[in-house]
Amino acid sequence: MPKTARRKKRLDRSVKVRTEGLYALTSWSEITYLLLPRLVLIMGLLSLPFFLDMYWQRVLCAAGIYGLLALGFDFLAEFVGLVCLGGAFFIGAGGYISGLLNAYLGLSPLVCIPIATVAGAVISTLVLVPALRLRGIYFAIVSFMFPLFAVYIIVALSAFGGTEGISALDNLPNQWVEVYLILAAVLVSLFLLRRLVDEDMGLILRAIKDNDQAVKASGISITTYKIRAVFIAALIGCFGGAYLTHLYGWLGISLFGMDFSILPIAATVMGGMGTLAGGVLGALLLTPLSEALRGFGQLRVVLYCFILLLFIVYKPEGFLSYFQRKYHQFELWEEV
Amino acid sequence: MSILKVRELMVFYENAIAINNASLECERGKITGVFGTNSAGKSTLMYTISGIILDLKRKEQMRGGERITVLGSILYEGEEVIELEASVRARKGIILCPERRRIFQESSVIENLRIGGILATRQQAKRTLEYIYTIFPVLKDLKNREGGFLSGGEQQMLAIGRALMAQPKLLLLDEPLLGLSPTIEEILTDAIQDINTKFGLAVLIVEQYARPILPIIHYGYVLENGSAVLEGTSEELIENPDVKSAYFGL
Repeated sequence: MPKTARRKKRLDRSVKVRTEGLYALTSWSEITYLLLPRLVLIMGLLSLPFFLDMYWQRVLCAAGIYGLLALGFDFLAEFVGLVCLGGAFFIGAGGYISGLLNAYLGLSPLVCIPIATVAGAVISTLVLVPALRLRGIYFAIVSFMFPLFAVYIIVALSAFGGTEGISALDNLPNQWVEVYLILAAVLVSLFLLRRLVDEDMGLILRAIKDNDQAVKASGISITTYKIRAVFIAALIGCFGGAYLTHLYGWLGISLFGMDFSILPIAATVMGGMGTLAGGVLGALLLTPLSEALRGFGQLRVVLYCFILLLFIVYKPEGFLSYFQRKYHQFELWEEV
Repeated sequence: MSILKVRELMVFYENAIAINNASLECERGKITGVFGTNSAGKSTLMYTISGIILDLKRKEQMRGGERITVLGSILYEGEEVIELEASVRARKGIILCPERRRIFQESSVIENLRIGGILATRQQAKRTLEYIYTIFPVLKDLKNREGGFLSGGEQQMLAIGRALMAQPKLLLLDEPLLGLSPTIEEILTDAIQDINTKFGLAVLIVEQYARPILPIIHYGYVLENGSAVLEGTSEELIENPDVKSAYFGL
């Protein structure tokens, strides 16, 4: 045959095949193969604060919050089929509850944050329940609306400090607690979510994304499962919000800002949809990037969009999926 | 003189081979049939000839999923079309009537037909529409019904009608009898024959359920594991013992 007598063949590395079952634990090379990427991520994240000064540690904290939101977004979008643009609502709900508890009742941040995480998640879920029967773009629009609503309500009623917000809230005990709290939260939620999507519940959620009628026909209430999934994502997001309030010692309507809805999506697209870890890595890259570009003023939005565009055009699968493939598989030319 | 020549076509879904060195031809003005069991590569063949495969390929690439490789050549009226987009091929006259109908659920019957006729001139569209109403009178009565509310058989008629509206020179029918009752089967096979004789239109039918289709084709191929293992005229295939046992259960 003429021009195209060869094609690239992609095969799994033998060590990948060997490490898929229980046998993985029989040799060091296989254990290393399995653990290496995970350890690099964990160790890398945990040791990162030692190399950063105060300012960049703050940036890392912000990146962690975006990472949490990206996790929640990726989980809902790729595993449940709910494209949720309500990240800002999670942040706002968690942040306001935690801040208000601290301002009015004088509770310590370490008590406020867990309470706000759960309470915020409950509220966010309740708010989103009526929208759950919507699919695709309609759910996205409705979930995008809620943060805007919340802002208008707060401004109109001048409640909770109105447009000014409330400042001088208690901070977390010290900088190291701040950094490691968020890093631990990111790692814990990442690995728990990764486990969850492979459990029975994850299977059902993915099935809902694929074909909800078939899931209904199997005698499973899809609404219940969607509510649970939204609750989990909200839990993660609300923790981020509550944490954010105490990180800056301040709460205000900018907690409902669009950034919290949009940046996680960008991070997820960059890292790779459906990989979970991709969104976290994307956030860890994008947030410092947007900080570093601060010198460009308004122009940085353009640069930032440009980078995103490049990703969508040239690496739409995201960089994590790409590296995963390179790690697990090799390619060779094959005559056909 | 053949309108379509497929030569040494190979399609890979990642490492799995869907079409393995298949070669086939469609004669001008004849009905050609391709038969095969599930997973023989029938639908992939259709996607490849109509160009939909390029779209699938791009989508998989976006997702970072399977890599689809298409090798070989597809000559349509002597011209290589394997690299062309589905829309370009459609403009050249290769029209696919897809498996499972894929009609526009929320548009009415007449709207569906008009969408199909976007490539046709006003007069062609009018003439084809009248013709469709004569072979499928039921569509005329259901003119304003939404596509999604039609029965399976009516949807299939609509899908064929929509494909006809695009003024095909080569009509590709992917499993036109999928899940239909014997009466509807008869209406459809009669219609396909009528389309072929009236307009001298080249038709390529891909079907798993060979019994009603075998008698109406002029030439046929049997596809197995992605290769054309058997070919012959309608009579030859009907008489072939392997075909008999596999498709007629004799």
